[in-house]
Amino acid sequence: MTVLILTSEEDVTADMVVLRLREAGVPVVRLDPADLTNGVALSGEYVRGACRGHLSVGGRLVSMSGLRSVWVRRPGVPAARAAHPSAWLTEESAQALYGMLRATGARWMNHPDAARRARHKPWQLHLAQQVGLAVPATLITTFPQAAREFAERFPDLVVKPVSGAHPQEPPRAVPTSRVAPDADFSTVAFGPTLLQRRVAKRADIRLTAVGDTLLAARMPVAPDAHPDEVDVRFAPASSPWAPVDVPPRVAEGVSRYLREAELAYGAFDFAEDADGIWWFLECNQSGQFGFVEMDTGQPIAATIARWLAGAGEPGHAGADADRSTAS
Amino acid sequence: MQPFTLNYARPAVQLDVTAPYAYDSGLQLNVLPDGRIAATDHATLRALGTTTSTAGSKTHFDD
Repeated sequence: MTVLILTSEEDVTADMVVLRLREAGVPVVRLDPADLTNGVALSGEYVRGACRGHLSVGGRLVSMSGLRSVWVRRPGVPAARAAHPSAWLTEESAQALYGMLRATGARWMNHPDAARRARHKPWQLHLAQQVGLAVPATLITTFPQAAREFAERFPDLVVKPVSGAHPQEPPRAVPTSRVAPDADFSTVAFGPTLLQRRVAKRADIRLTAVGDTLLAARMPVAPDAHPDEVDVRFAPASSPWAPVDVPPRVAEGVSRYLREAELAYGAFDFAEDADGIWWFLECNQSGQFGFVEMDTGQPIAATIARWLAGAGEPGHAGADADRSTAS
Repeated sequence: MQPFTLNYARPAVQLDVTAPYAYDSGLQLNVLPDGRIAATDHATLRALGTTTSTAGSKTHFDD
């Protein structure tokens, strides 16, 4: 039975997992949907009540029924590198590839439907509340007056994109940023704005969840850090990430979150305050983990590989016999 | 008028570095010029920040 990895060639983080799978002797086929019709081929037939399908890449041929799991890591846009790419060809290719894969019994990390839903930050915040995680007071609004009133109730605020996406024309990044007390909120009317009470944090927490395994890492905030340095991705690293135990209540909440969200993988960001409370910020359903593993030595790649290679665990829909071949 | 959130935007950092490794379709791994597997060379990966949580990705916003 083969593990299918959908990702770009330059994804060295995926390499870390491919290595572990190879060590375990688990067959792997790695492809980028962007290469469909230009290096990647597919075929599926539905005849007399049965369906059979195959994928081919780089001389490897794998049967759809021989897939034990699919890891959706950093896939490109389907057929983006075809000889004559187009929006129509992308849609055709996406429907063909993901439609066929959905019909297999393979387990997903993460299933596209769950992944799509899990990307919505407002949904994340609501789910985090429901499962008992501490969530900082948050407002998402296009009403300037609502923003003003929120700022009166919570004078120390940060702002961040609702989607987590960044504008590209021109390319810009929008870090989580502290809002000045005298900010003019009138332009809230021109785009949904996410305002959140700033957590005076003493550490950032990255909790990587793989199936039932929770691996948390902690990076203390530098004593001389400026309070405006809110976003750990943009602040200079004061010290490496270090392993940390997950408080039982957080572990329970995260486990419930994953169950409710139907996610096999999630990278959770928390801010730890002076009382040791972990405040939920977000859950990236395909978050990076290589930097944490390199700092902490936590076996994240190996845990992902074990999950992908596993059989009979929760969420696994049994696949047919192994018919994958490599040539 | 631009949305409030974009008041806090900054130019995206354009990484002007070329990864010193190339994809080997036979191995299904990225390989350094000396033949070593790139993922085992943590010094290179740290220098490039290729495994890091970063903001501003064109194609992915799950960091």
